[in-house]
Parts: sequence; C-alpha cells; structure tokens
Amino acid sequence: MRKYLPKIYLALVILFFYLPIVYVVFFSFNDSRSLTNFTGFSLQWYEKMFANRTMMESIYYSVVIAIIATIVSTIIGTITAIGLSKSKRVVKEFVNQMDNLSMLNPEIVTAIGLMLLFVTFGITTGFGTLLLAHIIFCIPYVILSIMPKIRQLDDNLAEAALDLGCTPWQALYKVIIPQIKPGIFTGALTAFTMSFDDFVISYFVTGPGINNISTYVYSSVRRINPSINALSTIIVVGITIVLVLANVIPLIATKRHQKAETNEI
Amino acid sequence: MKEFRRLVYPYLVWGIIFILVPMFMILIYAFTDEGNSVMTFNFTFDNFLRFFEDSIFIEVLWRSLKIAIATTIICILFGYPAAYFIAKLRPNSQSVAVLIITLPMWINMLVRTYAWRGILLESGLSPEVKVYIGMVYNFLPFMILQIYTSLSKMNKDYLVAATDLGCNARQAFMKVTLPLSVPGIISGITLVFLPAVSSFFIPKLLGGGSFVLIGNLIESYFLTAGDWNFGAAISLIMTIVILVSMFITRKFDHEKEADNA
Amino acid sequence: MKKLIEFKNIVKKFDNTLVLKGIDLDIYENEFVTLLGPSGCGKTTLLRMLGGFLTPDEGHIIFDGEVIDDVPAYKRPINTIFQKYALFPHLNVYDNIAFGLKLKKMPKDIIDAKVSRMISLVALEGREKDDISVLSGGQQQRVAIARALVNEPDVLLLDEPLAALDLKLRKEMQHELKRIQQEVGITFIFVTHDQEEALTMSDKIVVIKDGTIQQIGTPTEIYNEPVNEYVANFIGESNILDGVMKKDYLVSFDDKDYECVDRDFKENEKVDVVIRPEDIDIVPYGKGKLNGEIKSVLFKGVHYEVIVETRRGTSKTVTMHVLSERDITNAEANEMMHASDFSMDIDDVETMTDQDIIARANAQAWDAETEEDIQISEVITDLKKETGRYDVTFKTHEGTSITVKISVVAPKYVEDDKDNMGITAFDFYKTVDEIKESMAISVDLKTWADAYAWYIDNDEEAPITEVRFDFDPNEIVEGDYEITFSTEGREYKVHTTKYFEEGQKVAIDFNGADIHVMSKMGGQG
Repeated sequence: MRKYLPKIYLALVILFFYLPIVYVVFFSFNDSRSLTNFTGFSLQWYEKMFANRTMMESIYYSVVIAIIATIVSTIIGTITAIGLSKSKRVVKEFVNQMDNLSMLNPEIVTAIGLMLLFVTFGITTGFGTLLLAHIIFCIPYVILSIMPKIRQLDDNLAEAALDLGCTPWQALYKVIIPQIKPGIFTGALTAFTMSFDDFVISYFVTGPGINNISTYVYSSVRRINPSINALSTIIVVGITIVLVLANVIPLIATKRHQKAETNEI
Repeated sequence: MKEFRRLVYPYLVWGIIFILVPMFMILIYAFTDEGNSVMTFNFTFDNFLRFFEDSIFIEVLWRSLKIAIATTIICILFGYPAAYFIAKLRPNSQSVAVLIITLPMWINMLVRTYAWRGILLESGLSPEVKVYIGMVYNFLPFMILQIYTSLSKMNKDYLVAATDLGCNARQAFMKVTLPLSVPGIISGITLVFLPAVSSFFIPKLLGGGSFVLIGNLIESYFLTAGDWNFGAAISLIMTIVILVSMFITRKFDHEKEADNA
Repeated sequence: MKKLIEFKNIVKKFDNTLVLKGIDLDIYENEFVTLLGPSGCGKTTLLRMLGGFLTPDEGHIIFDGEVIDDVPAYKRPINTIFQKYALFPHLNVYDNIAFGLKLKKMPKDIIDAKVSRMISLVALEGREKDDISVLSGGQQQRVAIARALVNEPDVLLLDEPLAALDLKLRKEMQHELKRIQQEVGITFIFVTHDQEEALTMSDKIVVIKDGTIQQIGTPTEIYNEPVNEYVANFIGESNILDGVMKKDYLVSFDDKDYECVDRDFKENEKVDVVIRPEDIDIVPYGKGKLNGEIKSVLFKGVHYEVIVETRRGTSKTVTMHVLSERDITNAEANEMMHASDFSMDIDDVETMTDQDIIARANAQAWDAETEEDIQISEVITDLKKETGRYDVTFKTHEGTSITVKISVVAPKYVEDDKDNMGITAFDFYKTVDEIKESMAISVDLKTWADAYAWYIDNDEEAPITEVRFDFDPNEIVEGDYEITFSTEGREYKVHTTKYFEEGQKVAIDFNGADIHVMSKMGGQG
C-alpha cells in the first residue's frame, strides 16, 4: 500500500486538475440548460454558439491579438535581450528591474495603470489599446525566456565569427540568433499563452464592443449560459490540437532530418 | 560587440512609457481628488484616510490577506508531496507528469474557473469554501512546478552523502531535501500569494456578488463607481501590503540560509 | 626574417587591476612564438588584443608597419583558435570551415577546393557532413584549425588550444601543430601555461609573469640560462640554492666554493644558483662534491627522480615512555577512568586551561557497561610556573578520580642558524593501547610530543618533514622509545636512470658548466 501511495496521490491531484475540464465538455452536450443534470445528448449549444456573433467575434479577437502580440513582442524582446547582454551593468539592472516590476506587479495594478495612461492621454480604448497592452505585458516574458540562452552562449562564438570576417551584424544573424533559437521559441510560446489566457488586463483596457474570450465569459456568466460550455469545449479541443502539433512536429522534423542524413550516407 | 548596446534603447523608452509612467499615474491619482482628471493637481491624503477610517474597507483588506495566506499554505501542503512524488519518478515519467499538470494551464483561466461554477452550483458549500477551491485550483500548479524544479535540480549526491553519514530516510529528508527546496517553496509562495491577494474574478464567479475581496473593490471603484482616485489609492495600499509580505517572506528565507550556513 | 608584429609599451587595466604593465615584444614572419606563464599573467589578454577583441589602454600594436589598434577583428588578417574551439554548433564540419570563405562571397567551386584542401591538411577526410557534436575533442580541434587556416591568415593565434585534450592526444596535437605550421609557413602565436608544450613546439618563448615579460629566448636559452629564479622554476625542474658570487667564475653555496662559467656580477653579490636535476650525477660516497643520503626514489617512466639529502634538517629527539593499562575502575558508580602523565613547556603554564590539561593528559571517563562518555567535572592541580613534577587529579560527579603527573620543563629547543630553523618537542607518556589505536602515528606523535618548528628570522611556523622512530606501532610493548622530529634539510633533486636504495650513502657530482648563476629577483629573493 505504502508503495502505491505516491501514485494514488498524484492521480488524485491530476483528477482535481482535469475534473472541471471534463465536466464542461460533458455538459456541453447536455440537452437542457442544467449544469447538474444530464438530461440527454444534443448539439444545440454548439448551434447556438456558432449563431452567436459576439461569441464568435471574441474567439476571433483572442486569436488575432494573441498572434500579433506574439510576433511583435518576440521581435522586440529578442532585439532587447541581445542588446542587454552587451549593455553596461546600470542599463542591464534598470531594464531588469523594470521588467520585474511589470511581471511581479499584480495584474490588476498593471491593468489600471495602463487604463489611466490611455484615458489620461485621450487614447480611445478598443482593439488598439487591447493589442498594445498585450504586447506590453508579453515582452518581459520573452526577454526572460531568451536571457538564459544568451548567458549560456560561449562568448567566443561571436568572437570567432568576427575573427573569421563577420561584421558584428553578420555575427548576429549568422551565429547568435541561430544559437538562441530555442529561447526565442519558448519566449514566443509563453507570449502566446499569456496573451490568449489574459483576462484582467484585457478587461480594463478594452473598449466597447471589443471582447476576447475571457472578457466575454466574465460578462456573460451572470446568467447560466450553456453555450459557454460549448465554447470551452472548442477551446479545449483547439489547445489540445495545438499542443500535440507543437510537441509532435519538432519530433517528426528531427526524425526526418536523421533519415535524410542516413540516406545520404 | 559594443554595437549591440544600441539595441536596448528602443525598449528602454518603451518601458519607461508603458511600465513606469502607468505606475506613476496610479501614484498621482491616489494623491489627488479631482475626479477623473489629473490636469488640476490637488495634493491630498483624503483617499487614504477614507480607506482607513471605514471599518468595511479594513475588513475587506483583512479578508483578502487571510484568504491569500490560507490559499498559499494549502498550496504548500498539497503541492509539496505532489512535487516530491513527481521528483521521485523515473526521468521520463517526470516530464510526462509535469506535462500533464501543465496542460490544463493552457486552457483559459476564466473558462476553467467558470467550469467550477457548474460543479459547485448545487454543492451547498459556503461562498468562502467555493472561493478557496477556485483559488487552490488556479494556483496549485504554480506551487507544484516551482517546488518540483528546485527538487529536480538538487544534486542527488547530497542525499547519498547524507545517507552515507548515517541519516535515515526521514532525517535525510528533514535535514537535506527540505532545506534545499526552500528556495522553490519561496518562489512558489510568490507565484501563489501575489495573484491570490489581488484576485477578483474568482470571488466574483464562485463567491457570488456577496463575497468581496480587495480586487473587487478596485474593480468596482474603477469601472462602476468611476472614482478613480479612491480606486488608485486602494490599489496602492494593496501593492504596499504585498511588498511588505514579500519582504517578510524573503527575509525569512535569508535568515534560514544564514542559519544553515 | 621580416619583423611582422610589434607590441610597443602595451598597458591594460581591468577594473583598476594592471594586467599588462608595458609589454614590448617583436614577432617575426614564420615564427612559432609561445607566450608562457601561469593563469592570470596577462598572456591571453595580449593575444586577444592582437586578435582585435580588446584595445590597449596605452601603447600601440604595429602590424606589418601599420598601427592596428583600432582595426576591428574582422578586418585583421589574423585568425584565432579559441580555447574551447568555439565551433558553430548549428553548422556541420564543412560549413564551419567554409564560414569565412562564404562571407567573402567566393565562388562555390573555389570554396569547395579550399575546404577540401584544408580537410586533408588536418586529416579529416570523410567527416565533412558530420555535426560538430559528434566529433571528439581532437577532431573538433582539427576543425577549428582548418576553419582558421582556410582564410589564409598571416598570423594564427592559439589560445591554450590543447588544454581540453587528454595527455596522449595533447602530445599528438603538439607534433601535428608544429607540422601544420611548417607546412603553411605562417606565424603561430601560441598561449599556454604548460612549459613542456612551450619547450617542444616553439622557436621563441616569451615568459610572462604578472603582466611583465621575464625572458624572451629560444627553448634552449630559456632552459639552460634562465634569467631568474621565477623562470628557472617555471621551466623544467630545478634545484635553486642561495649563493654568493665571490668573483668572476667563482660561486659559493652550501659552504663551498665552486668554479663556474658565469661572470659580470658584483663582488660578493648574493645570487640564486640553478642546477638542473639531470646535470647532477650520483657517485659513490666520498667521491663527489657533496656527500649525502638517498631520501626518496620515485619512478618517472624513463628516469628515477632521486632526492639526495646532503645535510640533515634541524632535529630534536625526545623519549616516549610507554606504560601499561592505567584505567581506574570505580565499581560503586560503575565508572571507568583513564589519564596519562605528560610534560609541558614552562612558558605554557599560565595559559593552560582545564580543557587543555584534560586534552594533554588524554583524560577520559566512561560508563563501564555502555561505554558512553562521562564528563570530567573537576581538574585539581597545584601546577606552578616552576620546573618540577606536579600532581593533577581528574574527577567525575560520582567521585571517581585518577591522578597523574605533569612534568614542567624549561623550554628545550634546538636552533640552527645556518639552516634558519628552530625545533622543539617534549618527552611524553602513553599507554600501549593509545599507540595501537592511533590511525596516523606520525601526526599523533607530533601532537603528543607537542613538536613545533619555526624559521628563526621571522618566527613563522616551519614544517616538520620527518618523524623518525624505530618501533612498530601495532607491536609496541612497555618501555622507553626515542623519537626524532626534523625539519627539511638541504636536498638535491637528481634525475638518473640508475636505481638507488633509500637510505643509501652516496655523493653527488656536477660540472662547473652545469652551474647557472642568476641575479636575485627584485625584493623577492
């Protein structure tokens, strides 16, 4: 019994984490409005969801904002991280502290700060401010993911590139960037989840008519609305597919790479 | 490679505008009283006096703190064994276990919390208990992952050495594993306590309208009442409370380190 | 030969530490130059400056007649082999080697031709498509060499490139590097802290210490005529002795005058004398310049390293009184006790605490059944600061007690001015069991006898290098035993192919030409 205790405990913890997910998926196929009694199988909530324009828009905004915010924050973050690695200690320390402030601040504080900024300077809240806010809070996470890779970088690699005739900029894209690629990839992935998952900041900086999934769910849970179960199920399925692809594609790529090599030999 | 230094400057400006200035704005709003405009600058302490003179606000602050601390403790109690057991698995199973625990975190937090609403709808539990469940559910993975990271990074030779020097399994855990995993617990505390104390959608979704925490206060003063100055003051108070708590935690950590040394 | 590189008074500081203190150095075409020195001496800094990764704070670097202080690395006709090779992990062997040529936008067929020539130069045929990670250390090294040489630089810089290789591979690469250098015929500047590497490969060695050049010369010059003690010590093994230059061609050391080939010192100038271990011969006792005794023999592969002691160090002999069991039993309290007599220095009486007395007498009390230690609660003694024998009684709470004697003696030490050593030790009492239980008898004997040695001129503690006794600790019986403690005497290290017994009486011999006299180093001699 003692031997199985750890496994049982872990199983219970995992059950706890997956219970609500299984629950929504299950009840999204419920025949009635009830969230406690399963009265029969039906796809009516999916029909209602696809018919609901605001709901479909919220998915659209979540995805579009996450994609743009990921691309922009990854570019800015990468450039900054490379710059930081060569900066004077004062600058490095200042930027690090600034990023820490951004990451450790309670989200609600960041949110009202940005809201005050936008409103005070007369910027109309809406898609633009929502996107800008997402880029703002994603960049520190991108920098955080890339910095360790840059620190691991053998200083001599860049020097070797210069030694062999690269200008500093050639050294950057021929040697440094290829080396920190995994960090950039992790950073982009983090940025995407942070953006896609965000509620608090979006809630304060978005404008009328612009909802992402989080703000939509928040504003519509006052009433019981089983369409949200259907929406949740779609997200669960979507994320699962993305994650499977993200894990499987690199695997296939390396396999294919190896295969190609064996063929050549 | 000094050329690359220039690359920092755009972000330096960006950060000042979008990270520092907003914090500064909160500060200005908290110390002024002219409604939604800071153009007329009237310095005042009124917003803070108002907060501390009304027992309701103090009560809400206290409740938020209590719930955040309790949530943190529950997360350590349940998270430590989980992390420890994962670290004991075979390396391959370890990464699978970590993946399984991380997976739900990819699904929108609001959606997951919303799901609990359904489960708990007819459970008859008090709003407070429901809020606890929601908080632990949302934050426990952070605690597990932080502790697991510190445990898995630990040099296994320490344990071998401890056993070699005569520790039994329990002593080895108490004298070696636990002290060395303290940094993991501390960063876990940061990741749980901080969002827990400022959370506002968990109480709103699971506690119903009746259960108010400090985050809900800030939300309503900004978005419903439109009293931004008071809202800014509340969030400043909350930030200070968080900073003090984190400072105490860190200090505790350092003292412990000093003791061990 | 044409002068290719000139360092003119190069000074470099890092965080206010002076790393290079005015280096002047000329390097010629087609030379294999080694910068030799311990880590932190500034040799790598100098190399990195030439590579273009650092700029001098003062002074100039002149390359082929032109100052290149501000020319960036990528515009210098100089390539570097880095310590850990710095091969690009995302490129394969071919792409690593072709890296520099591709930057120059050379036509593909020319790149192919040049790369394959390099690959055969470094003997890596067939590995073109391999990932860097699958190569061994030696192969990576070869790729790094090819990657640098394919650019046809005028100078190749090598920053401790062999440090990461194991011994066998290192030897192999030493020859390989020398061969490659001769084949391509360009200047190699090689940085290392390994004197053997420097001696085997170089045309010219530059010995650097603390940011200054100590000596520049060919390997033979540096080995046979080191300019000072530092170089002599750093290059090869040597016997370095204090001496006095009586006059030209006559030096005195170890109380004797010797003819030598050195001159131009001041009369009676204090000097350092170097004799290389392989220049000394071991001859029968009485037939050489100095008589002595073989102290140790170590087999070093091709030769033996023999230490000949020509003069004993300062020594002190004491008596160890070995007694039988002296345990006291208190049946009533069920306790046992034990302690032994000891001797001590009169000067130490005042500072002696009860704890010290317990330790020196090795007083112990324990439960007769469980053998658990029991605290000694009382130490009663009439110890005075006068020579004589005093009683000391140790007691436990239960009243069990034991009395032993302390002998207070006037300090008895031996000082030897010639040797600059003093040594002291005391007679002591031990039981048979204590000696048998000792895990490191020499160390314990030093502690028990309170043996201590010092340098007379500065009173600092000196090592006691020898503890001589003629009993077997495991077979010891009651009685008195002599123990001699000594400091290090005058020793000569000799390399010979003949085998000698330790303890054998011999003499050593050397020629006047093998004696090399050097000036004392400034302020450090």
